[in-house]
Amino acid sequence: MNGSVDETSVVSSEGWTIIHIPEKPPVLPHLQDTVEVLASAIEPKHADTIVRKLNHIAPLEGLRHVKRIRKTCLDGGKSQLFVILCLASGNDGDSNFVPEDVLELANTYQLSTFTTKVCKHAASTKEEWEEQCKLWPTSFHPPTYNIDGITGFSEEDSSAVFNFMKLAVCLAKSGTSVVNAAVIVDPSSRQVVASSCDQVLSCYAPRENTSKGSCSSNQAEGSSEVVKASNEAKQSYKDVCCLHPWGWLEQQSQVGPDSWHPLRHAAIVAIENSAARDRLLFPVSGQSPDFSQEDYKVFSPPHSSLKRQKINTNVKHDERMDHHRNDLLCDSTRPYLCTGYDIYFVWEPCIMCAMAIVHQRIRRVFYTFPNPNDGALGSVHRLQGERSLNHHYAVFRVSLPEEILKSEALATASKID
Amino acid sequence: MDSSVEETVPETESVAFMKLALEQAKLALDSLEVPVGCVIIKGQKVISSGRNRTTETRNATRHAEMEAIDVLLEQWQKDGLTREEVALKFSKCTLYVTCEPCIMCAAALSIIGIKEVYYGCANDKFGGCGSILSLHTNSSRKVTCSGISKRKEFKCTGGIMASEAIALLRSFYEQGNPNAPKPHRTLVPRV
Ligand SMILES: [Zn+2]
Ligand SMILES: [Zn+2]
Repeated sequence: MNGSVDETSVVSSEGWTIIHIPEKPPVLPHLQDTVEVLASAIEPKHADTIVRKLNHIAPLEGLRHVKRIRKTCLDGGKSQLFVILCLASGNDGDSNFVPEDVLELANTYQLSTFTTKVCKHAASTKEEWEEQCKLWPTSFHPPTYNIDGITGFSEEDSSAVFNFMKLAVCLAKSGTSVVNAAVIVDPSSRQVVASSCDQVLSCYAPRENTSKGSCSSNQAEGSSEVVKASNEAKQSYKDVCCLHPWGWLEQQSQVGPDSWHPLRHAAIVAIENSAARDRLLFPVSGQSPDFSQEDYKVFSPPHSSLKRQKINTNVKHDERMDHHRNDLLCDSTRPYLCTGYDIYFVWEPCIMCAMAIVHQRIRRVFYTFPNPNDGALGSVHRLQGERSLNHHYAVFRVSLPEEILKSEALATASKID
Repeated sequence: MDSSVEETVPETESVAFMKLALEQAKLALDSLEVPVGCVIIKGQKVISSGRNRTTETRNATRHAEMEAIDVLLEQWQKDGLTREEVALKFSKCTLYVTCEPCIMCAAALSIIGIKEVYYGCANDKFGGCGSILSLHTNSSRKVTCSGISKRKEFKCTGGIMASEAIALLRSFYEQGNPNAPKPHRTLVPRV
């Protein structure tokens, strides 16, 4: 439910952690494909010779990730070595297939053989690997990340991530009740592009959080002080829309809502705000067909050479605002939707919101609390692993240190079901 | 393109409403938007319509379904309806949309509690009513353990005038780039 941890997690000195949520869930050991092998206990003094011989007469083709030797600890500090002799069945599926040379070796060293299982495929995550080793040890080569700065967080990057998540947490707690919050950030300039709380009941979000506000860590800290005052002990988080998408009828507010909208989850409103900002900053009149979305491109001719213009995502909007405030910006500097932007959620988004940010071309998603009811990024669905989608983002869980959770009255949020 | 199949059968109610949805899709095409359109029906009457507005708004979530839902929410709140009354109304509405609702829209339709959906062509890339996910049914889902309302199901039927819907989408991508080479074979999405 909490997604899975792989080797790319980053921990800060203050106890924040960034955990990559991979595209596919880790495979449980009983679900991983296995093959049967013939094995035997051996004397440690013969181990080297036997392994050398076996590597020559019965190499484990296709099982290069499987270790030939297994060492098992016995009671009294002693250990026992086991070796894989060969596959337990031949290519033709004959279960009694044992190469002549292996039989001879077994006789020479008076080995009593038994059949056991090893994992057929190399592990793709650390968790998978740990599970594999319970059957028989394998080797694990972690995939190298750091592609396009999608993962690989420098200290500076991760402190920016923590600060933006703090800002989201502040927003989530800023109204009369705890709701979800979404903050869209341009990581190249470390600027907030747009943000919003849930607005299913409009009274939750009295202040508009449109466009270009930036929140320094000091500001975030300041508002968390304010938040401490309004500390409610018991929370069911029933007003967090992504947790309870179907609860819009029952969600209550102390003051009656003047307006409400069952679909105005934080992400939907934040996207709306960022689109409004885009139209304001880049008021080009003519619509270039180059910007039309490819979402339904499945219907285009198969050999179509429609190449969408790749937009430079490293635009420093605020600089441009200063220098060209009254100029119409040329089309080439205009961002395409939220390409290159990150989004921060307090709670893992529901499937509607998770798909909305696919449409809007978000690059990376960060959330703090998993959403066991409708979480779409690892808890219930795993949208980042749907290969058919035309856009994919990387997903990370940012776990907060205990003190922040307590000060934000969110201490029970990671435990709700 | 080839609508001979539809034309040989008598025009059913669903075809009549789908034609109205296709009209909306054509409006989108005229505005250089991806041509997807929809209408919402209650008591045999069209009470709302919508078309894709993603290019105009630069908001890629402004799909036809979201537009049509927003029209109703605004109207009903102006009329002073309570949330309960609105929920009751949605539970009597049927949506006709030219292309299978995407994952986002399918989730939205479940959240508002729509009664029924008819769509034209399937959406193999991100359809939320059977193609990629099946958000209109509860089958493949965890049961929510909280006391707050459970996921709502809706009836969903595809393949109503699918070829017309596909033809519109094709003409959009062809007009989008007049230099695009002509296809050697035709890609027909699963319907
Ligand atoms: Zn949501
Ligand atoms: Zn949609």
